[in-house]
Amino acid sequence: MADRLTQLQDAVDQLGTQFVASIHFVNNRHDLQKLSQKDIIREKDETKQDPIEVNPLPPDEFKAGQRELAQDLILKEQQIEFLISVLPGLENSEKDQEEMIKQLEADLKVAEEQRKQALKDKAEILTTLEGVIRQIIRP
Amino acid sequence: MEVQPELNRLAASFPAPPPFWKEFTEENLDRISKLRVSQTFDNLKNFNPATTLPLKLLEPPPELRYLQPPDPPAKGQYRCFGDQYDLNIPLPSLDEQGITSLYTPPSTPGSDGKHGDRAFILKRLAKSLLLNFLELVGILSVNPDQAPEKIQDLRTLFINFHHLLNEYRPHQARESLILMMQDQLEKSRAETKGIMDMKGKVESILEGLNQKQSIESDKTREEDTDAPVIDDGSDVWDELEKEFG
Repeated sequence: MADRLTQLQDAVDQLGTQFVASIHFVNNRHDLQKLSQKDIIREKDETKQDPIEVNPLPPDEFKAGQRELAQDLILKEQQIEFLISVLPGLENSEKDQEEMIKQLEADLKVAEEQRKQALKDKAEILTTLEGVIRQIIRP
Repeated sequence: MEVQPELNRLAASFPAPPPFWKEFTEENLDRISKLRVSQTFDNLKNFNPATTLPLKLLEPPPELRYLQPPDPPAKGQYRCFGDQYDLNIPLPSLDEQGITSLYTPPSTPGSDGKHGDRAFILKRLAKSLLLNFLELVGILSVNPDQAPEKIQDLRTLFINFHHLLNEYRPHQARESLILMMQDQLEKSRAETKGIMDMKGKVESILEGLNQKQSIESDKTREEDTDAPVIDDGSDVWDELEKEFG
């Protein structure tokens, strides 16, 4: 999983893609409108493939599509805002961070020493235990 | 037929992965890790995974040489997709790139200001994005000629957002470092504690045994037979069973 900043960046990029997709949808699937009574909607020329030809959807489907796209936009926006609010360490300044890192470094050193000591103790206790067990078996 | 794959590669929107990706089989990975272990063994004492990179094999077998990670860029310069990058060049500011800066730089990165205002600006930018999109749709429906201007606004907003976000990256890197250190500290402490607990347990067992043994040996002296010696052994096992069984 990517870190939060990258997630945020991706989310913003996706928002941009959704903008384009929404406009594309509205641009290509809208209904044809008569501006005056005399207008006739041209019969579609099936033989010619026009790339920017409008391909109307039935009104209810078009509305549903619009609604879905709009909802997705809002959802993405909310996602972005959520990601912003959970960015790591918003409340820490760089100085705080440096101090924290130094403190942690010191703590780590101590802990490492303790760990090494514990490992030594473990080895000792193991030899003792082994000795005891051997004593039991031998007689 | 011969030309076909070449054409495909040129037409692909993303370049094909470098041909040596096929070398990363499980078998080869296994082999190289074994090799690494064998070469690390000599200087195992001063081996510190935190500071040492995966060991540089001196003479990797030719079929494994692609599994050897390359040296990190020595002077901070590296190539990616044919472009030259330099780690030492700081992120250019928006003004330097000829983009209108939509926010006053929040407490220039490096000072000890809090970052809350940064999040606030990000949120504002995100909202502006949505609002500007709405305006764009409105303009498109009324007078499409004016749309390019609005699109330009959106572009500026997006670039600003990305810029602000990327300025934040060093901060996040430090934050991740802190998290990792805390993690390691916890692990180390847990390990120490585990060892200490075990030590305490073993010590108490040994103590129990000693007491028993002294009682047994008293008995042995009194009764002077062979049998208690066998009992002695079973006692130990009983005790061990009680602790670990």
